[in-house]
Amino acid sequence: MADVLKVSGLNKRFGGIVVADNIDLALAKGRVLGLIGPNGAGKTSFFNLVCGVVKPDSGSITLVGQEINGLPIRERARMGLARTWQNLRLFSSLSVLDNLMLGPRAYSADNLLDVVFRPGHVADSERESRERAFAVLERTGLAGIAHQPIRDITFGQQKLVGVARALMNDAQCLLLDEPMAGVEGQAYALIQKVVRDIAASGVAICVVEHNVAFIRDLCDEGVFMFAGKVLARGTVETLIADPQLTELYFGT
Amino acid sequence: MLNATVISQILWTSLATSSYFVLFALAFALVLKVNKVFNFAQAGMMTCGFYAAYVAVRVVGLPGPAGFIAALAGGAAMAFVLERFGFSVLRHRKASPMFVFIFTLVASQFITYAMTMIFGTWPTTIFASMFWPVTLVADVAVSAWDIPAILATVAVLSGLWAFLRFTRYGQFMIAVADNADLAELYGIRKDRVLMVSMLIAGLICGVGMFLYGTRAQVQPAAATELMLFAVAATILGGIGNLWGAALAAVVLGVVQNSSILFIPSAWQGFLLYAFLFFAIVLFPSGFRLPERSKALKRTVAAPVIAADGKGG
Amino acid sequence: MDYVYTILILIGLFVILASSFDLVIGHCGLISIAHPIFYAIGAYVSAMLAKEGGMPIPLAMLAGGAAAFAASVLVALPSLRVSGDYLLIASIGFQLGLIEFAKHIHSIGGAGGLTNIPPFLVNTYGRVSYVLLVLAIALLTVLFVRWLTRGPYGRMMAAMRDDELAFSMLGRNAIWVKVSIFAIGSGIAGIAGGLYAHYFRFLEPDQFGLLQSSAILTMVVVGGMRTTLGPVIGAIVLQILPQAITFFGLPPSILGPLQGLMFSGLVLVFMFARPQGLLAAPDIWAGRDSKERRDG
Repeated sequence: MADVLKVSGLNKRFGGIVVADNIDLALAKGRVLGLIGPNGAGKTSFFNLVCGVVKPDSGSITLVGQEINGLPIRERARMGLARTWQNLRLFSSLSVLDNLMLGPRAYSADNLLDVVFRPGHVADSERESRERAFAVLERTGLAGIAHQPIRDITFGQQKLVGVARALMNDAQCLLLDEPMAGVEGQAYALIQKVVRDIAASGVAICVVEHNVAFIRDLCDEGVFMFAGKVLARGTVETLIADPQLTELYFGT
Repeated sequence: MLNATVISQILWTSLATSSYFVLFALAFALVLKVNKVFNFAQAGMMTCGFYAAYVAVRVVGLPGPAGFIAALAGGAAMAFVLERFGFSVLRHRKASPMFVFIFTLVASQFITYAMTMIFGTWPTTIFASMFWPVTLVADVAVSAWDIPAILATVAVLSGLWAFLRFTRYGQFMIAVADNADLAELYGIRKDRVLMVSMLIAGLICGVGMFLYGTRAQVQPAAATELMLFAVAATILGGIGNLWGAALAAVVLGVVQNSSILFIPSAWQGFLLYAFLFFAIVLFPSGFRLPERSKALKRTVAAPVIAADGKGG
Repeated sequence: MDYVYTILILIGLFVILASSFDLVIGHCGLISIAHPIFYAIGAYVSAMLAKEGGMPIPLAMLAGGAAAFAASVLVALPSLRVSGDYLLIASIGFQLGLIEFAKHIHSIGGAGGLTNIPPFLVNTYGRVSYVLLVLAIALLTVLFVRWLTRGPYGRMMAAMRDDELAFSMLGRNAIWVKVSIFAIGSGIAGIAGGLYAHYFRFLEPDQFGLLQSSAILTMVVVGGMRTTLGPVIGAIVLQILPQAITFFGLPPSILGPLQGLMFSGLVLVFMFARPQGLLAAPDIWAGRDSKERRDG
């Protein structure tokens, strides 16, 4: 099995609310998995648990066979885990290019001693990541606005920057939190194409999305979550067709 | 030297003197919990409370109770000014937490320097004499200050508890502390609640400074040190836990006062900073009594939702 | 003329302090007002090493900077691991506690102060040489802060200020950035301390208290945070203003609090009337291209 990310027995409760109830889930290389479920089902919480933003009460999370539960967020990122955020979390005082420049697993100036004592090395690494950033920008159709401040670009472009920034990690596992919410037209098609391309290059992808059409077009498989539980796993069509799940999704 | 009498004497005296520490810690913890601000300007509220009482009693010549009222008014007035012209303006401007932080610090210093300009650096007290008649109770000297001070503190503690538990505004305060945005959605007027919480903190500071100023000499810079003590207690008590802060203040007060047994008195002042550092490094989230404190929280939070249901 | 030299040296020292403090509070967004204590550590360590240890003064000054650097790491590491808010409290506790501590240590002069600190340069080359030394180091500090904050490290600091969580999710180490910058800023303050000690040749613990904290904070806030020239202008204005007051011949008991009132009052006025300071911070990272950024 080429499971890139494997989660088993993951539990988390906040006071009386259960956000993860014994979740077992695996993401395979080159596959796109969609997380479906009503608001509050624990989809974003699942991402937060995997990334280390929230500490689980119990359970195990492995990334390509290595236990990452307990590691700080940055360590997980440096092992090849990348994500986007529902509310984007872009660096608003930076330009599009500079947002991306901070994305590689190893950053030019991670070590302050290098900045001071090995400026040549830092400059080389800056040039390298600038080239990579432009390659990613090209791929996501953002090259034209590389030097614009984040606050001056459209919402759809900002969504794309979020994805592009995550791509700079060269991740093995990519978590996309509502990449489509509020996106229309050109950006929509572009995101779809980009996600498919990345999957084709062997990355394991997990998508939280309310746009059912997008999930159906894009995902190889879907998982239905409710109240912190994984209720069902299967093709997106079967999940959507299940009357019980539909009822849970839309409430009574 | 060290016999039971000496030890019980020191324990009693330090318990009594920790009364004002408890009040300062309570005020600090309340504002931190409800207003979500490390309110270093509390030192300014404390200074105002003291000098209001000082002016009433020593300058104007009013009797003690009037001085007490003046201390309350002084503390609350400064709290009003800080909230009305400081915090609320910054809040509406969506100033960064750092900005608010700097504001509390600088405001506190501004008040301290202003008071120094007016009253000088010479230490003073609220009453001309700080000596209180002493009664011997089982060989332990109990001063006429001790009992009222402890009673006043207990009264403030239970008053605050009852306020938070039973009054509408008290419940609003807890709701805002839990989730200010949600509380606002339920129609609670956040600005007003935050003002009430500041005013209560100001009143508590007034009581505390009246107690302190009738027993020890005060100069404008003294409040800063007293406040840092409250900060240490708040951190040790577990941020967001009022009663924990009060308890931690008692413990710190007793430790500091009884330290006279172990370390030279010149070093006693240094102990405060040791506490502060200790609190941050070793107990950043306080001494936790998890199960119990959680259970308590829930019983307090539950009626809020009910009240919201009715009110909204 | 000596008076003018002394003022120039004080201006230079405060330019160093304000610029390095702006690096910490403005660029890195770390809330601490304990900058003077690192100035004090540099001053005392340098003075004691030269006076008692007979160390050559330039070396002693560097050692003072190193001591301030090390002390700041000790303060920052445990508190920043908890949360940014705690740095302020830990550092104030450290500042006031260390001042209290120093007052009781007789070998460094206690509360009365440390006297007879060996002089540097002045006896052999005259005061002008010392003025030039201090101003040169002030210029270096300003240029260093500008260079650092406009390079790749500055990009990290800007991003971290914007969104620390997203910053960590990219694999960046926020605590490391904060501790490094706090230590560098404090180390620079330590060197300024050595420069102070060997010119004025007298140190007392109380001069490094909250009054000086608010003076430096005022320089940065009034001058304009995150600007190259803001702290410089702030230092000049706020060094000359209090000097102007001394001409009124007020007694020291009024003069101290009046200065404090002025410093803290100015910050309050600026916070509410002109939060960006005299100079507004440029959007270094908001775009344009990098060439323009480096020149402008």
